[in-house]
Amino acid sequence: MKIDIQGLRHEYDIEVLKDLTIQLENVSSIALIGVSGSGKSTLLRLLSGIETPSAGTVKVNDTDIRERTYKRRVGFVFQDHNLFPHLTLERNITLILEETRKTPKEKARAIAQKNLEALQLGDQMHKLPKHVSGGQAQRASIARALALDPDVIFLDEPTASLDPVLTHEVLMAVKKLRDFGKEFVFATHVISFVKDFADYVIFMENGAIVEHGPPSIMDAPSTASMRAYMDKVH
Amino acid sequence: MKTDKNTLTPRLKKKTVTIERLHAIVNYALAILTFLGLGAIIALRQQRALDFSQIWSRLPIVQNAFITTVTVSFIALVGSVILGLVFYFFSISRVRYLRAFTDVFTEIIFGTPLLVMIFMMGYVFRASFNIASSETLGLVGLTVYITPYMTNVFRAAFSSIPDSQFQAMDLFGFTTYQRYRYLIIPQVIRALTAPLMNNFSLIIKGSALLHIVGTEEVYNELFAISSNTGRTIEAFFVMWLLYLIITLPLSRLIKFAEKRWST
Repeated sequence: MKIDIQGLRHEYDIEVLKDLTIQLENVSSIALIGVSGSGKSTLLRLLSGIETPSAGTVKVNDTDIRERTYKRRVGFVFQDHNLFPHLTLERNITLILEETRKTPKEKARAIAQKNLEALQLGDQMHKLPKHVSGGQAQRASIARALALDPDVIFLDEPTASLDPVLTHEVLMAVKKLRDFGKEFVFATHVISFVKDFADYVIFMENGAIVEHGPPSIMDAPSTASMRAYMDKVH
Repeated sequence: MKTDKNTLTPRLKKKTVTIERLHAIVNYALAILTFLGLGAIIALRQQRALDFSQIWSRLPIVQNAFITTVTVSFIALVGSVILGLVFYFFSISRVRYLRAFTDVFTEIIFGTPLLVMIFMMGYVFRASFNIASSETLGLVGLTVYITPYMTNVFRAAFSSIPDSQFQAMDLFGFTTYQRYRYLIIPQVIRALTAPLMNNFSLIIKGSALLHIVGTEEVYNELFAISSNTGRTIEAFFVMWLLYLIITLPLSRLIKFAEKRWST
Protein backbone atom coordinates (compact mmCIF):
# COMPACT_ATOMS: atom_id res chain seq x y z
CA MET A 1 0.00 0.00 0.00
CA LYS A 2 0.96 3.57 -0.41
CA ILE A 3 0.44 6.20 2.27
CA ASP A 4 1.11 9.89 1.80
CA ILE A 5 0.58 12.23 4.77
CA GLN A 6 1.34 15.94 4.40
CA GLY A 7 1.18 18.42 7.27
CA LEU A 8 -1.52 16.46 9.11
CA ARG A 9 -2.86 18.14 12.22
CA HIS A 10 -5.78 17.16 14.39
CA GLU A 11 -7.25 18.57 17.56
CA TYR A 12 -10.23 17.95 19.82
CA ASP A 13 -9.98 20.26 22.80
CA ILE A 14 -6.25 19.83 22.79
CA GLU A 15 -3.91 19.16 19.92
CA VAL A 16 -3.49 15.42 19.48
CA LEU A 17 -1.56 15.26 16.23
CA LYS A 18 1.09 17.82 15.43
CA ASP A 19 2.05 18.40 11.83
CA LEU A 20 2.72 14.85 10.66
CA THR A 21 4.39 14.28 7.32
CA ILE A 22 5.36 10.83 6.10
CA GLN A 23 5.40 8.93 2.82
CA LEU A 24 5.41 5.17 2.60
CA GLU A 25 5.28 2.87 -0.38
CA ASN A 26 5.38 -0.88 -0.91
CA VAL A 27 4.53 -1.80 2.66
CA SER A 28 1.76 -4.26 3.49
CA SER A 29 1.50 -4.23 7.26
CA ILE A 30 2.24 -1.16 9.31
CA ALA A 31 2.38 -1.24 13.11
CA LEU A 32 1.76 1.88 15.18
CA ILE A 33 3.37 1.69 18.61
CA GLY A 34 3.74 4.08 21.53
CA VAL A 35 2.20 4.71 24.93
CA SER A 36 -1.53 5.28 25.34
CA GLY A 37 -2.40 8.84 24.39
CA SER A 38 0.50 9.15 21.95
CA GLY A 39 -1.91 9.63 19.04
CA LYS A 40 -1.95 6.10 17.53
CA SER A 41 -5.72 5.73 17.70
CA THR A 42 -6.31 9.20 16.34
CA LEU A 43 -3.99 8.56 13.39
CA LEU A 44 -5.83 5.30 12.65
CA ARG A 45 -9.19 7.03 12.82
CA LEU A 46 -8.02 9.69 10.41
CA LEU A 47 -6.44 7.17 8.02
CA SER A 48 -9.68 5.18 7.94
CA GLY A 49 -11.86 8.22 7.37
CA ILE A 50 -13.85 7.82 10.61
CA GLU A 51 -12.70 11.30 11.56
CA THR A 52 -11.73 14.22 9.35
CA PRO A 53 -8.43 15.97 10.09
CA SER A 54 -8.29 19.59 11.24
CA ALA A 55 -5.62 20.35 8.63
CA GLY A 56 -3.34 18.65 6.12
CA THR A 57 -3.85 16.01 3.46
CA VAL A 58 -3.83 12.24 3.72
CA LYS A 59 -3.83 9.90 0.76
CA VAL A 60 -4.06 6.14 0.99
CA ASN A 61 -3.32 4.34 -2.26
CA ASP A 62 -3.61 7.69 -4.05
CA THR A 63 -7.15 8.31 -2.75
CA ASP A 64 -7.79 11.35 -0.58
CA ILE A 65 -9.41 10.26 2.69
CA ARG A 66 -11.86 13.16 2.41
CA GLU A 67 -13.40 11.62 -0.71
CA ARG A 68 -16.94 10.49 0.01
CA THR A 69 -16.53 6.96 -1.26
CA TYR A 70 -13.26 6.36 0.56
CA LYS A 71 -14.82 4.95 3.73
CA ARG A 72 -16.53 2.23 1.72
CA ARG A 73 -13.21 0.77 0.74
CA VAL A 74 -11.70 0.42 4.20
CA GLY A 75 -12.23 -2.07 6.98
CA PHE A 76 -11.99 -1.08 10.60
CA VAL A 77 -11.69 -3.25 13.68
CA PHE A 78 -12.53 -1.35 16.84
CA GLN A 79 -10.84 -1.70 20.20
CA ASP A 80 -13.88 -3.33 21.77
CA HIS A 81 -15.42 -5.41 18.95
CA ASN A 82 -18.25 -2.88 18.51
CA LEU A 83 -20.62 -5.38 16.94
CA PHE A 84 -24.27 -4.34 16.96
CA PRO A 85 -25.44 -6.03 20.18
CA HIS A 86 -28.97 -6.90 19.04
CA LEU A 87 -27.84 -8.75 15.91
CA THR A 88 -26.29 -12.21 15.60
CA LEU A 89 -22.71 -12.46 14.38
CA GLU A 90 -23.98 -13.44 10.95
CA ARG A 91 -26.56 -10.66 10.79
CA ASN A 92 -23.91 -8.13 11.82
CA ILE A 93 -22.33 -8.88 8.46
CA THR A 94 -25.31 -9.53 6.20
CA LEU A 95 -27.11 -6.34 7.25
CA ILE A 96 -24.20 -4.20 6.07
CA LEU A 97 -23.85 -6.13 2.83
CA GLU A 98 -27.55 -6.07 2.02
CA GLU A 99 -28.27 -2.48 2.99
CA THR A 100 -25.13 -0.57 2.09
CA ARG A 101 -23.60 -2.69 -0.69
CA LYS A 102 -26.88 -3.91 -2.18
CA THR A 103 -25.70 -7.51 -2.07
CA PRO A 104 -28.56 -9.99 -2.66
CA LYS A 105 -29.68 -11.85 0.48
CA GLU A 106 -28.35 -15.28 -0.49
CA LYS A 107 -25.00 -13.96 -1.59
CA ALA A 108 -24.66 -11.85 1.58
CA ARG A 109 -25.30 -14.91 3.69
CA ALA A 110 -22.73 -16.93 1.75
CA ILE A 111 -20.11 -14.19 2.21
CA ALA A 112 -20.85 -13.91 5.93
CA GLN A 113 -20.61 -17.67 6.40
CA LYS A 114 -17.40 -17.92 4.44
CA ASN A 115 -15.67 -15.24 6.50
CA LEU A 116 -16.99 -16.43 9.86
CA GLU A 117 -15.88 -19.95 9.05
CA ALA A 118 -12.47 -18.68 8.03
CA LEU A 119 -12.15 -17.31 11.56
CA GLN A 120 -13.41 -20.54 13.17
CA LEU A 121 -16.79 -19.08 14.05
CA GLY A 122 -18.90 -21.37 11.88
CA ASP A 123 -20.71 -22.83 14.90
CA GLN A 124 -21.19 -19.48 16.63
CA MET A 125 -22.65 -17.39 13.84
CA HIS A 126 -26.26 -17.52 14.98
CA LYS A 127 -25.39 -16.27 18.46
CA LEU A 128 -25.63 -12.73 19.75
CA PRO A 129 -22.35 -10.97 20.62
CA LYS A 130 -23.17 -11.17 24.34
CA HIS A 131 -23.38 -14.95 24.12
CA VAL A 132 -19.85 -15.48 22.80
CA SER A 133 -16.49 -14.80 24.43
CA GLY A 134 -14.65 -11.50 24.03
CA GLY A 135 -12.14 -13.19 21.73
CA GLN A 136 -14.85 -14.68 19.55
CA ALA A 137 -16.63 -11.34 19.30
CA GLN A 138 -13.42 -9.64 18.30
CA ARG A 139 -12.79 -12.31 15.64
CA ALA A 140 -16.32 -11.79 14.36
CA SER A 141 -15.48 -8.12 14.12
CA ILE A 142 -12.46 -9.01 11.99
CA ALA A 143 -14.67 -11.25 9.83
CA ARG A 144 -17.03 -8.30 9.42
CA ALA A 145 -14.20 -6.08 8.22
CA LEU A 146 -13.03 -8.81 5.82
CA ALA A 147 -16.50 -9.48 4.44
CA LEU A 148 -16.68 -5.98 2.99
CA ASP A 149 -13.63 -6.80 0.89
CA PRO A 150 -11.73 -3.64 1.75
CA ASP A 151 -8.42 -2.51 0.23
CA VAL A 152 -6.92 -1.80 3.64
CA ILE A 153 -7.93 -2.95 7.13
CA PHE A 154 -7.28 -0.76 10.16
CA LEU A 155 -7.15 -2.32 13.60
CA ASP A 156 -7.25 -0.13 16.68
CA GLU A 157 -5.67 -2.10 19.54
CA PRO A 158 -7.90 -5.09 18.81
CA THR A 159 -6.70 -6.94 21.91
CA ALA A 160 -6.74 -4.09 24.43
CA SER A 161 -9.61 -5.50 26.47
CA LEU A 162 -8.66 -9.18 26.26
CA ASP A 163 -6.68 -11.50 28.54
CA PRO A 164 -3.43 -13.11 27.25
CA VAL A 165 -5.09 -16.30 25.96
CA LEU A 166 -7.74 -14.45 23.99
CA THR A 167 -5.13 -11.94 22.81
CA HIS A 168 -3.21 -14.79 21.24
CA GLU A 169 -6.38 -16.15 19.67
CA VAL A 170 -7.23 -12.80 18.10
CA LEU A 171 -3.70 -12.12 16.90
CA MET A 172 -3.66 -15.51 15.17
CA ALA A 173 -6.81 -14.37 13.42
CA VAL A 174 -5.14 -11.13 12.37
CA LYS A 175 -2.34 -13.19 10.83
CA LYS A 176 -4.98 -14.82 8.68
CA LEU A 177 -5.59 -11.49 7.05
CA ARG A 178 -2.29 -11.82 5.32
CA ASP A 179 -3.38 -15.15 3.83
CA PHE A 180 -6.31 -13.30 2.32
CA GLY A 181 -3.87 -10.92 0.70
CA LYS A 182 -5.04 -7.97 2.76
CA GLU A 183 -2.93 -5.03 3.74
CA PHE A 184 -3.31 -3.43 7.11
CA VAL A 185 -2.37 -0.80 9.62
CA PHE A 186 -2.70 -1.62 13.29
CA ALA A 187 -2.06 -0.09 16.69
CA THR A 188 -0.93 -2.48 19.40
CA HIS A 189 1.09 -2.93 22.57
CA VAL A 190 2.02 -6.54 21.79
CA ILE A 191 5.61 -6.05 20.64
CA SER A 192 6.34 -9.73 19.89
CA PHE A 193 3.50 -9.67 17.41
CA VAL A 194 4.84 -6.53 15.76
CA LYS A 195 8.24 -8.18 15.38
CA ASP A 196 7.16 -11.25 13.51
CA PHE A 197 4.37 -9.67 11.61
CA ALA A 198 4.75 -6.02 10.66
CA ASP A 199 6.98 -4.97 7.81
CA TYR A 200 7.03 -1.36 8.92
CA VAL A 201 6.94 0.27 12.36
CA ILE A 202 5.94 3.78 13.34
CA PHE A 203 6.72 4.91 16.89
CA MET A 204 4.64 7.84 18.15
CA GLU A 205 4.91 10.09 21.14
CA ASN A 206 2.88 13.17 22.13
CA GLY A 207 1.12 13.32 18.79
CA ALA A 208 4.26 13.18 16.70
CA ILE A 209 6.07 10.46 14.76
CA VAL A 210 9.38 10.02 16.57
CA GLU A 211 10.88 7.11 14.63
CA HIS A 212 9.83 4.95 11.75
CA GLY A 213 11.38 2.19 9.73
CA PRO A 214 11.55 -1.61 9.38
CA PRO A 215 10.90 -3.69 12.54
CA SER A 216 14.65 -3.87 13.15
CA ILE A 217 14.55 -0.29 14.51
CA MET A 218 12.89 -1.73 17.61
CA ASP A 219 16.11 -3.56 18.49
CA ALA A 220 18.24 -0.45 18.17
CA PRO A 221 16.18 2.69 18.68
CA SER A 222 18.01 5.88 17.82
CA THR A 223 15.99 8.15 20.09
CA ALA A 224 15.93 8.16 23.89
CA SER A 225 12.13 8.15 24.03
CA MET A 226 11.73 5.07 21.88
CA ARG A 227 14.50 3.35 23.81
CA ALA A 228 12.60 4.12 27.04
CA TYR A 229 9.39 2.74 25.53
CA MET A 230 11.04 -0.45 24.29
CA ASP A 231 12.57 -1.01 27.73
CA LYS A 232 9.16 -0.69 29.34
CA VAL A 233 7.27 -3.04 27.05
CA HIS A 234 9.88 -5.78 27.11
CA MET B 1 -10.86 -8.55 30.96
CA LYS B 2 -13.07 -11.00 29.18
CA THR B 3 -12.69 -14.73 29.49
CA ASP B 4 -14.54 -17.73 28.19
CA LYS B 5 -17.60 -18.37 30.30
CA ASN B 6 -18.58 -21.81 29.05
CA THR B 7 -16.43 -23.69 31.52
CA LEU B 8 -19.05 -26.16 32.80
CA THR B 9 -19.82 -29.11 30.59
CA PRO B 10 -23.27 -28.76 29.00
CA ARG B 11 -24.74 -31.76 30.80
CA LEU B 12 -23.61 -30.69 34.22
CA LYS B 13 -24.76 -27.18 33.47
CA LYS B 14 -28.21 -28.41 32.49
CA LYS B 15 -28.57 -30.41 35.67
CA THR B 16 -27.45 -27.51 37.85
CA VAL B 17 -29.92 -25.22 36.12
CA THR B 18 -32.82 -27.65 36.75
CA ILE B 19 -32.03 -27.98 40.46
CA GLU B 20 -31.58 -24.24 40.76
CA ARG B 21 -34.94 -23.71 39.16
CA LEU B 22 -36.75 -26.19 41.36
CA HIS B 23 -35.21 -24.54 44.36
CA ALA B 24 -36.49 -21.15 43.25
CA ILE B 25 -40.02 -22.46 42.59
CA VAL B 26 -40.32 -24.13 46.02
CA ASN B 27 -39.13 -21.01 47.81
CA TYR B 28 -41.42 -18.75 45.83
CA ALA B 29 -44.35 -21.04 46.63
CA LEU B 30 -43.44 -20.83 50.33
CA ALA B 31 -43.22 -17.03 50.20
CA ILE B 32 -46.60 -16.78 48.48
CA LEU B 33 -48.14 -19.13 51.05
CA THR B 34 -46.72 -16.94 53.84
CA PHE B 35 -48.56 -13.91 52.50
CA LEU B 36 -51.77 -15.85 51.86
CA GLY B 37 -51.56 -17.12 55.45
CA LEU B 38 -51.10 -13.59 56.70
CA GLY B 39 -54.14 -12.53 54.68
CA ALA B 40 -56.15 -15.42 56.12
CA ILE B 41 -55.19 -14.50 59.70
CA ILE B 42 -56.22 -10.89 59.12
CA ALA B 43 -59.52 -12.03 57.63
CA LEU B 44 -60.27 -14.51 60.41
CA ARG B 45 -59.48 -12.08 63.18
CA GLN B 46 -62.19 -9.66 62.04
CA GLN B 47 -65.08 -9.08 64.45
CA ARG B 48 -67.62 -10.56 62.09
CA ALA B 49 -67.50 -13.23 59.47
CA LEU B 50 -66.60 -12.12 55.96
CA ASP B 51 -69.46 -11.94 53.52
CA PHE B 52 -68.84 -11.06 49.90
CA SER B 53 -72.45 -11.55 48.73
CA GLN B 54 -73.24 -7.84 48.63
CA ILE B 55 -70.17 -7.12 46.56
CA TRP B 56 -70.94 -10.08 44.33
CA SER B 57 -74.39 -8.65 43.66
CA ARG B 58 -72.71 -5.43 42.49
CA LEU B 59 -70.44 -7.28 40.09
CA PRO B 60 -71.29 -5.08 37.05
CA ILE B 61 -70.17 -1.98 38.98
CA VAL B 62 -66.93 -3.70 39.96
CA GLN B 63 -66.37 -4.80 36.37
CA ASN B 64 -66.92 -1.30 35.03
CA ALA B 65 -64.59 0.13 37.66
CA PHE B 66 -61.91 -2.36 36.65
CA ILE B 67 -62.33 -1.48 32.98
CA THR B 68 -62.19 2.24 33.83
CA THR B 69 -58.95 1.84 35.78
CA VAL B 70 -57.34 -0.08 32.92
CA THR B 71 -58.63 2.39 30.32
CA VAL B 72 -57.55 5.62 32.05
CA SER B 73 -54.18 4.06 32.87
CA PHE B 74 -53.71 3.10 29.25
CA ILE B 75 -54.65 6.60 28.07
CA ALA B 76 -52.20 8.10 30.57
CA LEU B 77 -49.54 5.64 29.37
CA VAL B 78 -49.94 6.51 25.68
CA GLY B 79 -50.21 10.23 26.46
CA SER B 80 -47.15 10.32 28.68
CA VAL B 81 -45.10 8.26 26.19
CA ILE B 82 -45.88 10.79 23.44
CA LEU B 83 -45.31 13.82 25.69
CA GLY B 84 -42.22 12.18 27.18
CA LEU B 85 -40.73 11.70 23.71
CA VAL B 86 -41.52 15.32 22.80
CA PHE B 87 -39.82 16.54 25.97
CA TYR B 88 -36.86 14.26 25.27
CA PHE B 89 -36.41 15.95 21.90
CA PHE B 90 -36.79 19.31 23.66
CA SER B 91 -34.05 18.34 26.08
CA ILE B 92 -31.57 17.61 23.27
CA SER B 93 -32.75 20.51 21.11
CA ARG B 94 -30.39 23.23 19.96
CA VAL B 95 -32.93 25.80 21.11
CA ARG B 96 -31.78 26.70 24.59
CA TYR B 97 -35.22 27.85 25.69
CA LEU B 98 -36.67 24.37 25.01
CA ARG B 99 -33.97 22.74 27.11
CA ALA B 100 -34.54 25.23 29.93
CA PHE B 101 -38.31 24.71 29.66
CA THR B 102 -37.87 20.94 30.01
CA ASP B 103 -35.60 21.36 33.03
CA VAL B 104 -37.98 23.69 34.86
CA PHE B 105 -40.97 21.49 34.02
CA THR B 106 -39.17 18.41 35.32
CA GLU B 107 -38.15 20.11 38.56
CA ILE B 108 -41.71 21.29 39.20
CA ILE B 109 -43.21 17.84 38.59
CA PHE B 110 -40.57 16.01 40.64
CA GLY B 111 -41.34 18.33 43.54
CA THR B 112 -45.12 17.91 43.39
CA PRO B 113 -47.16 15.12 45.00
CA LEU B 114 -49.44 13.37 42.50
CA LEU B 115 -52.50 14.05 44.65
CA VAL B 116 -51.79 17.80 44.55
CA MET B 117 -51.18 17.64 40.80
CA ILE B 118 -54.51 15.97 40.07
CA PHE B 119 -56.35 18.37 42.37
CA MET B 120 -54.68 21.43 40.81
CA MET B 121 -55.53 20.23 37.31
CA GLY B 122 -59.04 19.05 38.06
CA TYR B 123 -60.20 22.04 40.09
CA VAL B 124 -57.77 24.98 40.08
CA PHE B 125 -56.85 24.89 36.38
CA ARG B 126 -60.40 24.09 35.45
CA ALA B 127 -61.64 27.13 37.35
CA SER B 128 -59.18 29.31 35.38
CA PHE B 129 -59.88 28.01 31.89
CA ASN B 130 -63.07 25.98 32.15
CA ILE B 131 -62.24 24.03 29.00
CA ALA B 132 -63.03 20.48 30.03
CA SER B 133 -64.49 18.39 32.83
CA SER B 134 -62.64 17.88 36.11
CA GLU B 135 -62.46 14.22 35.28
CA THR B 136 -60.69 14.82 31.96
CA LEU B 137 -58.33 17.37 33.47
CA GLY B 138 -57.54 15.01 36.33
CA LEU B 139 -56.48 12.43 33.78
CA VAL B 140 -54.40 15.10 32.03
CA GLY B 141 -52.80 15.75 35.43
CA LEU B 142 -51.86 12.10 35.81
CA THR B 143 -50.47 12.03 32.25
CA VAL B 144 -48.43 15.19 32.71
CA TYR B 145 -47.17 13.92 36.04
CA ILE B 146 -45.70 10.75 34.50
CA THR B 147 -44.22 12.63 31.50
CA PRO B 148 -40.80 13.57 32.97
CA TYR B 149 -40.37 9.98 34.12
CA MET B 150 -40.99 8.91 30.52
CA THR B 151 -38.50 11.53 29.29
CA ASN B 152 -35.89 9.93 31.54
CA VAL B 153 -36.75 6.52 30.14
CA PHE B 154 -36.16 7.81 26.61
CA ARG B 155 -32.94 9.52 27.63
CA ALA B 156 -31.58 6.31 29.16
CA ALA B 157 -32.65 4.26 26.13
CA PHE B 158 -31.02 6.55 23.57
CA SER B 159 -27.83 6.92 25.57
CA SER B 160 -27.57 3.13 25.82
CA ILE B 161 -26.15 3.22 22.29
CA PRO B 162 -22.46 4.19 22.57
CA ASP B 163 -20.76 6.70 20.27
CA SER B 164 -18.57 4.00 18.78
CA GLN B 165 -21.67 2.40 17.27
CA PHE B 166 -22.60 5.62 15.52
CA GLN B 167 -19.06 5.77 14.16
CA ALA B 168 -19.47 2.23 12.86
CA MET B 169 -22.80 3.12 11.20
CA ASP B 170 -21.05 6.05 9.59
CA LEU B 171 -18.12 3.97 8.43
CA PHE B 172 -20.29 1.26 6.88
CA GLY B 173 -22.31 3.92 5.11
CA PHE B 174 -25.80 3.38 6.51
CA THR B 175 -28.30 6.07 5.51
CA THR B 176 -30.24 7.91 8.22
CA TYR B 177 -33.33 5.84 7.49
CA GLN B 178 -31.40 2.55 7.66
CA ARG B 179 -29.77 3.58 10.94
CA TYR B 180 -33.10 4.19 12.61
CA ARG B 181 -34.87 1.23 11.00
CA TYR B 182 -32.29 -1.49 11.66
CA LEU B 183 -29.98 -0.25 14.39
CA ILE B 184 -31.25 2.59 16.57
CA ILE B 185 -34.97 1.88 16.98
CA PRO B 186 -34.61 -1.89 17.63
CA GLN B 187 -32.05 -1.18 20.34
CA VAL B 188 -34.00 1.71 21.84
CA ILE B 189 -37.18 -0.37 21.99
CA ARG B 190 -35.32 -3.13 23.83
CA ALA B 191 -33.91 -0.65 26.32
CA LEU B 192 -37.33 1.00 26.61
CA THR B 193 -39.64 -1.93 27.27
CA ALA B 194 -38.86 -2.75 30.89
CA PRO B 195 -38.73 0.82 32.28
CA LEU B 196 -41.84 1.70 30.27
CA MET B 197 -43.80 -1.11 31.87
CA ASN B 198 -42.41 -0.05 35.24
CA ASN B 199 -43.93 3.37 34.69
CA PHE B 200 -47.20 1.76 33.60
CA SER B 201 -47.31 0.11 36.98
CA LEU B 202 -46.78 3.56 38.56
CA ILE B 203 -49.67 4.93 36.50
CA ILE B 204 -52.06 2.16 37.53
CA LYS B 205 -51.31 2.77 41.18
CA GLY B 206 -51.53 6.53 40.64
CA SER B 207 -54.92 6.19 38.92
CA ALA B 208 -56.49 5.43 42.33
CA LEU B 209 -56.05 9.13 43.12
CA LEU B 210 -58.35 10.05 40.23
CA HIS B 211 -61.25 9.42 42.62
CA ILE B 212 -60.83 13.00 43.83
CA VAL B 213 -62.03 14.27 40.46
CA GLY B 214 -64.86 11.74 40.46
CA THR B 215 -63.52 9.15 38.03
CA GLU B 216 -65.43 5.93 38.60
CA GLU B 217 -62.37 3.72 38.86
CA VAL B 218 -61.58 0.81 41.17
CA TYR B 219 -60.79 2.77 44.33
CA ASN B 220 -63.73 5.13 43.99
CA GLU B 221 -66.32 2.45 43.23
CA LEU B 222 -65.22 -0.04 45.86
CA PHE B 223 -65.02 2.69 48.45
CA ALA B 224 -68.58 3.60 47.54
CA ILE B 225 -69.67 -0.03 47.84
CA SER B 226 -68.02 -0.24 51.24
CA SER B 227 -69.90 2.85 52.46
CA ASN B 228 -73.22 1.69 51.00
CA THR B 229 -73.07 -1.86 52.33
CA GLY B 230 -70.96 -1.45 55.45
CA ARG B 231 -68.79 -4.29 54.13
CA THR B 232 -65.58 -2.26 54.36
CA ILE B 233 -63.17 -5.13 54.93
CA GLU B 234 -64.52 -7.16 52.02
CA ALA B 235 -64.56 -4.17 49.69
CA PHE B 236 -60.97 -3.31 50.42
CA PHE B 237 -59.90 -6.93 49.98
CA VAL B 238 -61.51 -6.97 46.54
CA MET B 239 -60.03 -3.58 45.68
CA TRP B 240 -56.55 -4.76 46.64
CA LEU B 241 -56.98 -7.95 44.65
CA LEU B 242 -58.08 -6.03 41.56
CA TYR B 243 -54.91 -3.90 41.60
CA LEU B 244 -52.74 -6.96 42.07
CA ILE B 245 -54.48 -8.68 39.16
CA ILE B 246 -53.14 -5.93 36.89
CA THR B 247 -49.79 -5.14 38.48
CA LEU B 248 -48.45 -8.63 39.28
CA PRO B 249 -48.55 -10.03 35.73
CA LEU B 250 -47.10 -6.72 34.56
CA SER B 251 -44.17 -7.07 36.91
CA ARG B 252 -43.57 -10.65 35.69
CA LEU B 253 -43.63 -9.30 32.14
CA ILE B 254 -41.05 -6.62 33.03
CA LYS B 255 -38.72 -9.22 34.50
CA PHE B 256 -39.12 -11.39 31.43
CA ALA B 257 -38.39 -8.46 29.10
CA GLU B 258 -35.31 -7.48 31.09
CA LYS B 259 -33.95 -11.01 30.98
CA ARG B 260 -34.70 -11.46 27.33
CA TRP B 261 -33.33 -8.17 26.09
CA SER B 262 -30.52 -7.21 28.41
CA THR B 263 -27.32 -6.56 26.48
